[in-house]
Amino acid sequence: MYVLTEAEVSADLSLLDAAWRQAESFILLPDKFGALREWIVRALKELPLNLESEHFALLTSGTTGQPRVIVGARERAQNLAVVLHRLQESEPVRETILVLPLSYTYAFVNQWVWATIQGRRLRPTRGFGAPEDVKVALESAREAMLCLVGAQVPLLAQYFGDRSFPGIIRVHFAGGRFPQERLDVVRALFPHAKIFNNYGCAEAMPRLTLRCAEDSQDPCDIGTPLPGIAMQTNADGELLFRSPYGAVGIIDERGYQPILPDTWVDTGDLAKKTSGGTWRLAGRSSEVFKRYGEKISLPTLLATVLDAWKNSAVFYRERDQAGEEGHVLLLAPPPSGVQLRSILKEFRDNHARVFWPLRIESVDTLPLLPNGKIDTLAASSLNPKTIHWYQRI
Amino acid sequence: MTNLEKLKDLVIDVFLLDPAEFRLDLKQNEVETWDSLGLVSLAVGIHSAFGYHPTPAEAISIHGVQDVICLLSSKGIDFEN
Repeated sequence: MYVLTEAEVSADLSLLDAAWRQAESFILLPDKFGALREWIVRALKELPLNLESEHFALLTSGTTGQPRVIVGARERAQNLAVVLHRLQESEPVRETILVLPLSYTYAFVNQWVWATIQGRRLRPTRGFGAPEDVKVALESAREAMLCLVGAQVPLLAQYFGDRSFPGIIRVHFAGGRFPQERLDVVRALFPHAKIFNNYGCAEAMPRLTLRCAEDSQDPCDIGTPLPGIAMQTNADGELLFRSPYGAVGIIDERGYQPILPDTWVDTGDLAKKTSGGTWRLAGRSSEVFKRYGEKISLPTLLATVLDAWKNSAVFYRERDQAGEEGHVLLLAPPPSGVQLRSILKEFRDNHARVFWPLRIESVDTLPLLPNGKIDTLAASSLNPKTIHWYQRI
Repeated sequence: MTNLEKLKDLVIDVFLLDPAEFRLDLKQNEVETWDSLGLVSLAVGIHSAFGYHPTPAEAISIHGVQDVICLLSSKGIDFEN
């Protein structure tokens, strides 16, 4: 398995085209993996021989911060791209604008693989680190698809809030909470776009379910599984899946772990099936915990915050002085006094005190992972932070 | 800032009240958020704002704003000015 880097591919996309066509398997790495280089070299040595051709691998760390190599089969990724083309109604789409790293499974499959097998144009940008670059691409877009993560909506509003981009006809969200409360912003920016909530995980390579934005008002409603994908929950409410498009194996700190056809793979999320047949997320396993005997769901609390706060927000976990698990709300940018009172009022009106955050803090901007998601681990250790309110417990 | 203003800010902050809801005769049973954890929070807040830490017995005898004023006044903290 040979190594391609995001930087190499960004400079010359034909490298990726060539890698996809030739038999030898490859791994596409993000730009910043220096400290992981030795781990990656060791990890790749563990791959079974049968994966050394017609496969590809991507590096992910997810919200746990632990590196994992996810190994996919090219044929599966192509099959998924075909299914997505149909379900995402992509036939009218002529091009896709890349604002996420290609080494992110979502962008890799939903954009690069899709564009490759459907013969559509992929337009790379330097992402929101270079907003002018993104603006030029959006302004000149023609029947284009955009793939975003929800955490990018405040950036869109900040950089382009006074504009609209009629050339975008499909907007996809994945990789985190669907920005249901900000759909007015998304619709104003992309007035001709059909908007989709995509759900999946790196092990699914990456898609499991899909729904149109209009099909539900609930940001946690992830819709129904793609054809061929089976989903169920275990006794703890954890969402498991089997997918004909999913990864064939992963390498983590335990070594190589094959994902066999009959393996139920844990998504890391808690979920319930609704009476309407769709699935509803209750949060990441790590985002749901007990506090003074009450079940705290951080995604539910974030929905409360976002009813009153239209900018960026994230919770991180911390124990209170009694040693009980708690959570801290971090906002960006700093709220005004009126905004802070509105947020506190939402907590008072909707939740008992155990659900309130230990503190409400702010920073100018939230740290983002290369894939655009909020870096929760970094958020907890940011300094300095301004404390706006705290519970005296 | 007078002690009364400090107490008003504390009660508003601990129970997430609208400033207009604050009254000197406000009672625990009128405030939905004045629960057991709220009482702990109020006691901690009294300590940090006024330098007096209510004993557990004193804390559980607080059933309204007036009780806080009575308690702190008995410890020499002036609410007249």
